Amino acid sequence: MATDLIRSSAPNFNRKRWLNFLFRFQSLFGLVIILILAVLFSPKPNGVNLFLSQRNLLNILMFASEVGILAVGMTLVILIGGIDLSVGSVMAFIGVIAADLLMNRHDVPVLGTIITVGGWSALAILVVCTLVGALIGFVNGWSAERFKVPSFVTTLAMMSIARGLARAWSNNNSIPIALGSSGEQLSQYGSSGGFGDPVFGLLGGTIGNTGLPIPGLIMIVIALIFGFILTYTAFGRRLYAAGGNPVATRLSGIAVGRLRIYTFMICGALAAIAGLIHASRLNQGSPNESIGYELNAIAAVVIGGASLNGGKGTIAGCIAGAFILQILDNILGLNSVSANVQLVVKGLLVILAVALQQLRPSTESA
Amino acid sequence: MKPVEQSPVLQMQGITKRFPGVTALQDVTFSVRAGEVHCLMGENGAGKSTLMKIMNGIYTEYDGQMLLDGHPVRFANPKDAQRHGIGMIHQELNLVPELRVYENILLGRESMGIGGILQRRKMIRIASEELARLGVSIDPRRPIFALRIAERQLVEVAKALSLHARILVMDEPTSALANHEVERLFSVIRALKASGVAIIYISHRMDEIYSIADYITVLRDGRTVASLPAGEMSRTQLIKHMVGRDISEMFQRDIVAQEAPMLEVRDLSLTGRGVRKLDHISFTVNKGEVVGLAGLMGAGRTETLETIFGGYPPKQRSGEIWIAGKQARIQSPKDAIRYGLGLVTEDRKNRSLVLGLPIRSNATLAALRDMLLPFGVVVRRRERTAVQVKITELDIRTPGIEVPVATLSGGNQQKVVLAKFLLTRPKVLLLDEPTRGIDVGAKAQVYQIVGQLAKQGTAFVIASSEMPELLAVCDRILVLCEGRVTAQFKRGEATQEAILEAATRFTEVSEMSV
Repeated sequence: MATDLIRSSAPNFNRKRWLNFLFRFQSLFGLVIILILAVLFSPKPNGVNLFLSQRNLLNILMFASEVGILAVGMTLVILIGGIDLSVGSVMAFIGVIAADLLMNRHDVPVLGTIITVGGWSALAILVVCTLVGALIGFVNGWSAERFKVPSFVTTLAMMSIARGLARAWSNNNSIPIALGSSGEQLSQYGSSGGFGDPVFGLLGGTIGNTGLPIPGLIMIVIALIFGFILTYTAFGRRLYAAGGNPVATRLSGIAVGRLRIYTFMICGALAAIAGLIHASRLNQGSPNESIGYELNAIAAVVIGGASLNGGKGTIAGCIAGAFILQILDNILGLNSVSANVQLVVKGLLVILAVALQQLRPSTESA
Repeated sequence: MKPVEQSPVLQMQGITKRFPGVTALQDVTFSVRAGEVHCLMGENGAGKSTLMKIMNGIYTEYDGQMLLDGHPVRFANPKDAQRHGIGMIHQELNLVPELRVYENILLGRESMGIGGILQRRKMIRIASEELARLGVSIDPRRPIFALRIAERQLVEVAKALSLHARILVMDEPTSALANHEVERLFSVIRALKASGVAIIYISHRMDEIYSIADYITVLRDGRTVASLPAGEMSRTQLIKHMVGRDISEMFQRDIVAQEAPMLEVRDLSLTGRGVRKLDHISFTVNKGEVVGLAGLMGAGRTETLETIFGGYPPKQRSGEIWIAGKQARIQSPKDAIRYGLGLVTEDRKNRSLVLGLPIRSNATLAALRDMLLPFGVVVRRRERTAVQVKITELDIRTPGIEVPVATLSGGNQQKVVLAKFLLTRPKVLLLDEPTRGIDVGAKAQVYQIVGQLAKQGTAFVIASSEMPELLAVCDRILVLCEGRVTAQFKRGEATQEAILEAATRFTEVSEMSV
């Protein structure tokens, strides 16, 4: 009987180890599976696999990039046990500000004198908007810390505030962006008919005639930077520790509250960058864009294997999550499945990802 | 008392349980009779909890068999075990703090009238009856969070009995109790015993075992090494069985204190929610000196250490802290560590360790700033070397430094916490219940480490409810009662009786009666 059990438990043990491995790289396996499915189910007019066409693949990279960038920031916030519901609204708000600063000029009275603001270069806009995003993140994080409420609440508030500000700023109209070729700068004050800094167009554009989307490259660079930070720096280490056990981390001499605020600032700044890309891509700053993007970002992070309780998650996972979502959208779109059904499928996928995490073999210990 | 001679209610025969890579139990035999208090002893990792988890249907895959009233049984899950009359009081109590006592006792078995409306009055009556059976008078309408640990435990016992438990497993029920609370628990246990309930009692405290046990079974390395009536196993034999070697003079150490104050606490007070928790506490710890903090639960031992360490908001506290002759302005644990303090908390799992992270990350968490390149990049090689050195120095038993701390035994976890603060090269170490829930061998090692570090000049403040340990280890013992220092003893002057007397010098009438 004893030998029976040994024999029967040995493959059991192997299976467990295999499962462990599979779960550890859940998101990457998911990505491979969905790629295979996409190739199989792709429409093939004249024997050409539409999904695998270069243009389609580059499109996926383009469209995955905004959610991917959001997901990187969201991963940091979720790692430390928070959540940021405001990123979609922040994207829209930043889009509006950027378009306005790029295209229009305003006379702002400051301390008795009048300063003209606007018609800025793309670089100035990039810097200012990223700072504004970080500032919004600071408000999110600081208020959660100061009033000891979950970030769910403060960022829910900010979701409403940023959206409202975006609409108020633009009178609920989208601000069109018209870019000149270099040298053709904005000619008149507060004009329509002028041109903005053409460099701004690069943010959402492609590299020359290769068709390589710049947003995709930006996402890759950001993912690499934060992947490095999480793995190799004290900041990253402390994020995992504070997410896993905030009390123990604080008693190890780490200012957990400050750390939390930093993650929200980074998340806000990355949301701003995503917002700039979005505006550049659509050639307008619209206050009603990017609704629900926060949920896509959270979905990407969860599909990537992070735990909403904090302490667990990776950048590679969330980027894989962003691609899984985008490929799913893409293949359903190629097969002319309605957008409404796409939403349902996306939701089911999130549930599946979470269910898989629950099935993860728990390590019994003596 | 002579155990009642009758056939066992529960027998476990030839139990073997394997985990990947380890055999946790090897052919263990264990049986318990009705009306018997059976102590299950063994160091951490000896297999006690595994055996209890099998008995409670938590582990369902094992070799061997279990007989309940002579009939073979195999529990499918904890609920199944419960239905068969097995109740378990976990070390971490399983109560819902926000609910009231009666709601907890009848959780999942609420009495309901038409339309699912709760019959509150009936539930309260049932709960009071259960509590009365134990001879305790806790108001069933009180919420759990308002109860002291000792009272919560009794609620757990009442809950188990209301489920008709005939076999009650108590896992270290006294680890959070003061002496008089232990006494009360024991009288409850004796009453249960008289009514025919079999009790399996797990504890590390020797004194208790001999005052309550009828029978003792010792496990070591997953095997039964002894199973005898309590009267037939002496204390020395018991320890020998547990550790497999003689530990004589376990906690001996040289006195090395010098006349050089390392930590001076002046008029330290702490108020929280309008209650004064610490009241003008002052004391000095010299270089290489080990000072003990004794006192009952709630006397303010933990608060004293955590206040010194900056664990409370500055506006809640007052007083001065001087370290190595300089006043320290400690606003947060971060400041405390910078000034050369280290704190080993009493609640290892919740307050000291990040359980999911590996030993390496846990050990370097406090000292990481010494291992950085520009931009906060961690020098992995320096980190690994530092941790390896501590693993050797502290004799941490682990397969490697990348193993999650959750998988280590209590004693080894505690050493990881020590390593974390030793890497910051502290001047003063504050230890809160450093030996709670760790086995005899590891206890000795912890105090050996304390002795060595004291010799090198580290000053120690040790808060503990284990008086024999304090008496053996400390150069000086302060006794706290209601947040005040009520007595101070030099080494050799202190006795358990004197400490207890000082620990119960309440200012007004004690509200400790239940």
